[in-house]
Amino acid sequence: MAYIKPTMDDDAVMDFVANGYVVLEGVVDEAFNRRCSDAKPGPAKELVGSPDFIREVLLHPQIAGVVRSLLGKNFLVPTGGHHHLFKEPFTGQDWHSDGISGSGFELTELQCYYYPHDVNLEDGPTIILPGSHCRAVNRDAIAHYGNIVGQVPLVVKAGTVALTRYGIWHKAGPKLNYNRRSMIKFSYHRQSPPQRDWLIDSEDIPEYVDRPGFHYTSGVESYRDLRRQIHTWNWLCGMSDKESMAFDRWRPSYETGTRPVEEIVV
Amino acid sequence: MKTDVKRWIKESRTKLKTTPLDAADLDQLETLMKEPRQLILYLTATSTNMRSGVVSWALYDSTKAHEPTLLSDESPYNNVLDAVADGWRVAQFPVINLYEYKDLENDYVGFEFILEKWR
Repeated sequence: MAYIKPTMDDDAVMDFVANGYVVLEGVVDEAFNRRCSDAKPGPAKELVGSPDFIREVLLHPQIAGVVRSLLGKNFLVPTGGHHHLFKEPFTGQDWHSDGISGSGFELTELQCYYYPHDVNLEDGPTIILPGSHCRAVNRDAIAHYGNIVGQVPLVVKAGTVALTRYGIWHKAGPKLNYNRRSMIKFSYHRQSPPQRDWLIDSEDIPEYVDRPGFHYTSGVESYRDLRRQIHTWNWLCGMSDKESMAFDRWRPSYETGTRPVEEIVV
Repeated sequence: MKTDVKRWIKESRTKLKTTPLDAADLDQLETLMKEPRQLILYLTATSTNMRSGVVSWALYDSTKAHEPTLLSDESPYNNVLDAVADGWRVAQFPVINLYEYKDLENDYVGFEFILEKWR
């Protein structure tokens, strides 16, 4: 039985709640990256399901530690994946989210991108939009977006794995050369109900600490972001919807009145 | 276009009195007869105000081949009004009724202005 230790603390989990991704730079062993570097493009059930891939990637302590932190105990390990391989120059993909994007507070799936090669800017890196992971959009209606302020190209070293909330906006960036640009995509899923069982110092659940807004968000979107982050955090800590509503706010906490007038002596 | 072609004919008649027309003259005529093509610029702003900041942009240029170019972090214009000052014409303003207000759910990025130029 594989025993996986969580690696994230409250602060790191709150960062994930806001941004929708974690990048683990160069964590997979070089020799294994080389073994994956010539993998066939397309469905990668055999590769991802192989004992070596499970050991070197899927249950790598740092990668699985993030998964354990965010998806709880006894999470489901991927049994397949897809190898996205680009060789020729091309203009890049359109912005999209995979499947049907969701706006809920839950976190039940982590979609991961593993890069067995170095990826430079000219190689057509995956580009992600931090904080876009809970936007209820038609994926085909964001295809005309070009550059977005705050977009992050995953220019990474070989052996890097990015773990994302399914639904984050992403695309393969423009590719200017003939270098192999390889990315193996796979997903972990939650089984256990959420509880705050990552690395904690105290059993007392801290309130969500506001993160800075994203540059691309309009006023109302930043309020929505904050509210969603608070409820996602509470959901991950195991609160019911009703309990979470006690913390419901979309403005900074210092703007919320907390003193009953009858307690004030003038 | 018509005025330019008329001018070309007038100048060519004058030229023909002393010199025959050549390939360059015909190239010039061909250029003058080309129909202008539309360039489209999407600028996404943080509000419907034309002075609010641009957070996303995309140029669709029908006069050039679609080649890969590196991504950019710098918007071509700080706001929509700057683009208008640079000769872009607003083809479509954000249509407020299309921005269904869903109260608490996040959705698309910003407010979209569609601009055009003719080349």
